[in-house]
Amino acid sequence: MTQTIDTNIYAAVTEAIQSEAQRILAAGEVTAIVGYAAARRKGSAQPIVITSADDAQKLIFTPACVNNLAVYLTKAKKEIPKSGRIGIVVKGCDLKALVGLMGESQLKREQLYLIGVPCAGVLASTIQPDTGLTSDSIAPKCRECDAHLPQGCDFVPSQTPVTPELEKKYAAEIARLEALTPQERWAYWKEQFSKCIKCYACRQVCPFCFCEQCLCDRNKPQMVDTTPRPAGNTAWHIVRAMHLAGRCAGCAECERVCPMDIPLNLLNRKMAKELKELYDYEAGFDVHDKGPLNSYTEKDDQSFIK
Amino acid sequence: MSRIGVFVCHCGENISRTVDVERVAAQVGKMPGVAFATDYKYMCSDPGQTLLKKTIQEQKLSHVVVAACSPRMHEKTFRKAVEAAGLNPYLCEMANIREHCSWVHEDKQEATAKAIEIVGMLVERVKKNRVLPTITVPVTKRSLVIGGGIAGIQAALDIADAGHEVVLVERDPSIGGHMAQLSETFPTLDCSQCIMTPKMVDVANHPNITLYSYSEIEQVDGYIGNFQVTIRRKARSVDEDKCTGCGVCMEKCPVKKIPNKFDCNLGMRPAIYVPFPQAVPNTPVIDRDNCIKFKTGKCGLCQKVCGPGAVDYEQEDTLIVEPVGAIVVATGFDLYTIDEKPKGSMIKGYGEFGHGKIPDVIDGMTFERLASASGPTGGKILRPSDGKEPKQIVFIQCIGSRAREKGISYCSKVCCMYTAKHTMLYHHKVHDGQAYVFFMDARTPGKAYDEFWRRSIEEEEAVYIRGMVSRLYQKGNKIVVMGSDIAVGVQVEIEADMVVLATAIQPRTGADSLAQKLGISYDKYNFYSEAHAKLRPVECATAGIYLAGACQGPKDIPDTVSQASAAAAKVMTLFAKDKLEREPIVARVKEAGCVGCFACKKVCAYGAVEEKEIRDRQGNLIKVVAYVNPGVCGGCGTCQATCPSKSVELDGYTDEQIVAMIEAL
Repeated sequence: MTQTIDTNIYAAVTEAIQSEAQRILAAGEVTAIVGYAAARRKGSAQPIVITSADDAQKLIFTPACVNNLAVYLTKAKKEIPKSGRIGIVVKGCDLKALVGLMGESQLKREQLYLIGVPCAGVLASTIQPDTGLTSDSIAPKCRECDAHLPQGCDFVPSQTPVTPELEKKYAAEIARLEALTPQERWAYWKEQFSKCIKCYACRQVCPFCFCEQCLCDRNKPQMVDTTPRPAGNTAWHIVRAMHLAGRCAGCAECERVCPMDIPLNLLNRKMAKELKELYDYEAGFDVHDKGPLNSYTEKDDQSFIK
Repeated sequence: MSRIGVFVCHCGENISRTVDVERVAAQVGKMPGVAFATDYKYMCSDPGQTLLKKTIQEQKLSHVVVAACSPRMHEKTFRKAVEAAGLNPYLCEMANIREHCSWVHEDKQEATAKAIEIVGMLVERVKKNRVLPTITVPVTKRSLVIGGGIAGIQAALDIADAGHEVVLVERDPSIGGHMAQLSETFPTLDCSQCIMTPKMVDVANHPNITLYSYSEIEQVDGYIGNFQVTIRRKARSVDEDKCTGCGVCMEKCPVKKIPNKFDCNLGMRPAIYVPFPQAVPNTPVIDRDNCIKFKTGKCGLCQKVCGPGAVDYEQEDTLIVEPVGAIVVATGFDLYTIDEKPKGSMIKGYGEFGHGKIPDVIDGMTFERLASASGPTGGKILRPSDGKEPKQIVFIQCIGSRAREKGISYCSKVCCMYTAKHTMLYHHKVHDGQAYVFFMDARTPGKAYDEFWRRSIEEEEAVYIRGMVSRLYQKGNKIVVMGSDIAVGVQVEIEADMVVLATAIQPRTGADSLAQKLGISYDKYNFYSEAHAKLRPVECATAGIYLAGACQGPKDIPDTVSQASAAAAKVMTLFAKDKLEREPIVARVKEAGCVGCFACKKVCAYGAVEEKEIRDRQGNLIKVVAYVNPGVCGGCGTCQATCPSKSVELDGYTDEQIVAMIEAL
């Protein structure tokens, strides 16, 4: 049964973002703000960087504001010290990426002005932007969101989102895959990876793929095949999943941008589940965390040693 | 183009028995880049090394692969030879066709094929070896000695006499260890205290020795030549600088009846105490668990009577950091107790011998205290139960030792000799008494040792019964000892007044946690492991850490003192140089690719990764990257495995080399 999700607060949230952006830019607290603006198609949204208080009214928040804007700070990170403090509009899921980036010395908290967004959810990538938010049109990641209200921001509009309990699709899909035999599971992923065309959109959109030179682009030695062949595809996706283990907090941008519809976030959620079960660890909450995969304690699970 | 020379070793027959070495050399000789390949009976021998050197020059070799044993065995040997021939030593690699091939296979055909592949991998790897300059690091010419028993004392004195500063750390309030507890020592029967206490005083007075008694090792950082050791000085409650050692506090302390561990709980001490009168330092310590002041807040008598005002109830543990270049571990042993075993321990107890239940069943150390002139009985052999002189005494050997079913399979080495000594001491003090010894066999190798044992039987009238005791039980005021005499094949029953058990030597409780702090290895019993059982018996596998005494395995006093001096000599050898040369197998950051996520810094076990700012000519910050301090890097390669962008590599083990090896297969 389709259930409508209340997004009435988004208008008020937009107003609050605009007035806060206007204030901090005018006061010189920040030199630029990364946020969302309306795009050409009706109801759609796109990222925008504004540097003038006059542009503050361009900022919006709607169910079409799907992008994780954190990625713009990583690619531009060298500019941040030069241009002063940067403001950024963040949903709870995006904030987790920023927290991770701070823990990995990519960003400093004092260089950021965080404008948090109370968010009931955004649209799935397959849905037209002008559609209303319902239990059918909502992005799968929003169904299991635990950060509707971002914590620890410099400014958060006062509205509280109404968030109905929805069926967890990733959890259900992971359970389905876990019930398969290893051979069946391998066959499933082999089929998924075989679709990959090595466009690396997943890499470009991922806030954690911040390496200036990706190991997959290195040729001395050639670690991963560059052409889209099954063996190289599998290598790339396994490298990607392993590199994100303990770091990815599930913004699902990789899955959104994949032109071949490979369920990339499913792999990421499975890795996150393993981390939770093995080390009781969840990415995206603690800035100074070493993370279980680069620390050792005597309590670590050693059952894999046989 | 490489001109690689491959030298295939027979290792006598160790390799050639299962690997057709000639065929290996012939096949490898055809590989691209290989200019020369040969086989030889013993590559590590002098003629073998000469062949290597001569060929490098004659054939103008650019790289060398020696196909022989493990690099752990002879990598240094061959790299030295290569260096002597004028090549950079790190252009030489070893292909392990012994441990990895000939020793683990039987089929010659298959083993030969595998050997060719192993050598082929190394050929591909060595092509990508770089010329590496040797790294030098400064040496802090100060030494830490852990443990103030005879081993630690001897090592500390030797190093200090050589002119180097020594920091001696002792866990107990006084140095002296087990040897200070002994009565007389085999095989000469000189008084232990008489030979020990002067050395203790030497330690206290030596200008080069800093003694931290009542202190423990908290943390060890750094590496050979440059350790930083954090030492916890436990709160003594008495200021060592103010205390004159007059002893008034101990006389006035109202708590008098605390069993003294030094006297195996036979003697009593006050709550403020020195463990024994000859203690060094002669500064009392307050046992806070038994002190009225600490328990109730009242009393404070010792502080009132202390002239110099040394008693300080407020004193807290302090941590100090000492920079040292070398560490001697001399933490000694504990004695096996047959009644108390920690839960989950692989060591089991002997319920049948009644130790702890029958008061007159004592262990060897307790007998030492009874026989000691400074002991609780003033040197008279008296039973703990009623203070009477035992007229029949039974000694039982190998309690715990050599008893696989009890969890210890090793021989404790000292018990045969000290039991022989005990029978003599007993005979000297109780002329009309009779000593019996149950033994499996007498182990008396050592100068004048067997003579000493024979003397106990032939001159001192000890009766040795070959056989083990099955049961002990109290009958009236006697202890019935039931055993067998296997020499004559009869059951023996002796009604003894006292029984002395020669209990096994065990590592110190907590030896494993100290080893983990130091990063040294230990065996299943927790004895510390030497680098090589025969050829490097005092060094740990961890560079700059040396072993002395029973912490490594059971030892008597002469062996302990010898090893302590040997460890001191190793320390002095290290200190003879101002700079230490070390292998340049260290990680290097490729700064162009580094994004400064510092995952490498998080995983580095050596603390070798630092943050480095890259600036342009105007001084503007371009980026912050990782930098590996080559002096600190341990060459483990964890950073290389962790780096997401592959921007840090271990020299000699670069990704390019590893992939080349895989591709050679």
